[in-house]
Amino acid sequence: MDSKLIKIFHGPQHPGITGNMSVELDLLGETIKYARTHVGYLHRGFEKLVERRTVIQAFTIVCRICVPEPDPNEENFARAVEGLAGIEISERAKYIRVMVQEMSRLAAQMLWMGGQSGSIGMGTVGQWSLFDRDLMLDLFEELTGGRVYHMYTYPGGVRRDLPEGFLLRLSELLDYLEKKLPKYDSIFFDNATFKKRAIGTGVVPKEEALKNGYVGQTLRGCGIRRDLRKDNPYLVYDKLDFDIPVFDGGDVYSRALVRRGEMRESIKILRQVIAQMPAEGAIMQKLPKHRKFTLPKEDIYVATESARGEFGYYMAGDGTEHIRRMQVKGPSLIHGFTLLEKMLIDEELSNVAMIMNSLGICPPEIER
Amino acid sequence: MKFTTIDIKGIISPFSAIGKVLEHPKTVCYPAQTKTVAPGYRGFHTNILTDCIGCANCQDVCMNDAIDMITIQEEKNPKNKSGCIPRIDYGRCCWCNLCVDVCPPNSLALGEVCIQAEMDSNKFLFFPKDSSC
Repeated sequence: MDSKLIKIFHGPQHPGITGNMSVELDLLGETIKYARTHVGYLHRGFEKLVERRTVIQAFTIVCRICVPEPDPNEENFARAVEGLAGIEISERAKYIRVMVQEMSRLAAQMLWMGGQSGSIGMGTVGQWSLFDRDLMLDLFEELTGGRVYHMYTYPGGVRRDLPEGFLLRLSELLDYLEKKLPKYDSIFFDNATFKKRAIGTGVVPKEEALKNGYVGQTLRGCGIRRDLRKDNPYLVYDKLDFDIPVFDGGDVYSRALVRRGEMRESIKILRQVIAQMPAEGAIMQKLPKHRKFTLPKEDIYVATESARGEFGYYMAGDGTEHIRRMQVKGPSLIHGFTLLEKMLIDEELSNVAMIMNSLGICPPEIER
Repeated sequence: MKFTTIDIKGIISPFSAIGKVLEHPKTVCYPAQTKTVAPGYRGFHTNILTDCIGCANCQDVCMNDAIDMITIQEEKNPKNKSGCIPRIDYGRCCWCNLCVDVCPPNSLALGEVCIQAEMDSNKFLFFPKDSSC
């Protein structure tokens, strides 16, 4: 029986793979009988690099851990350093940070939509969503000076104040996106082709999701309402009114609908941020100089709800200007190994890319 | 015999994309047309040499060792006791702006120029443009 199995490598250079990783597949015809994830194509040793730099120097590395959404990394790093160094940031800086997080979430969901639709051959959706993501990146460029790697959320606050008229332009973009979301429904979320492929594919049982510690859409897509912004609010999320979209199917389609709901909620949050943002307040606290910024001999764990689930940083100081140890816990490790290897068994080869995209696997974060 | 329901809405709704053909194209005809960058964009460095004091703070803070302090013959600023100015290696620079943050006289900045194409990689090692001129 085994002699009929064909072994193929899906990736690392394949349009249907979510980054530089590969999945080794044993196929019986078109059906997958064995799957094994391989990483190591993108190892840059972020955690070790951070240990060799001062606190301020290390800040510029963390955004590179995840290209689609660097801001949760910056937020985690900043909050971990602030927690260890005992820095309290202003209300205005907190609102700006929430704004950045939600803009980043919207941009990441747009990018996901391009990948998810591309994985089943729908090129048009990707063209639209990446254009809309670029509009968000234009605002990021204006705010931070960079389009993808923002390096904006900094221990002690944020690096720059809002440019003049920025909130108005953000508001206009939200109006545009709100009008655009029903169009995405028409061509993608309600599309019979997508539904036919996605419903019942890549199902995650609810019990397994809880037991194995899956996060983000994987968890919310099988009916479990868990979101750090509600469960363990940080910044000013406790002052904002928003819902957590939850669907019961546990399949690729439910996860897509969760993301669709999150885009709507992000727009809602951003509108509240624009309305409630304090007009005055320090955007940055006074910090010690580069070589005198020391962290105490303590450790801390902070977590942020990224567009793909809980993103956590463990950080330990040793009384010097260097970080003794930093460990990154992203959603991709558990989703890319434990879940993906199990989920692909008995699936069709053509569904691999679709399932990987729905899980939001990002290799640099696995091999940090 | 098993009957499956036909998703009529799901079949028809994607055709709404046809309406896009009536819209004006959003793409830019590069390089004939270029997109202007936002003010405050992090492009290549500029340095006001009449203000630069050669303190090497930028070199010290650079995590990528992308900045070297190089002695110049011509004196641009009498307060520049070291006689050195920064030279940037754009093969190493990550445009993080930390060098600009720590510059005491605010002479170093990141400009709006962000495109440079060269066949020789050594040409990416250069002094920031003197913005005092």
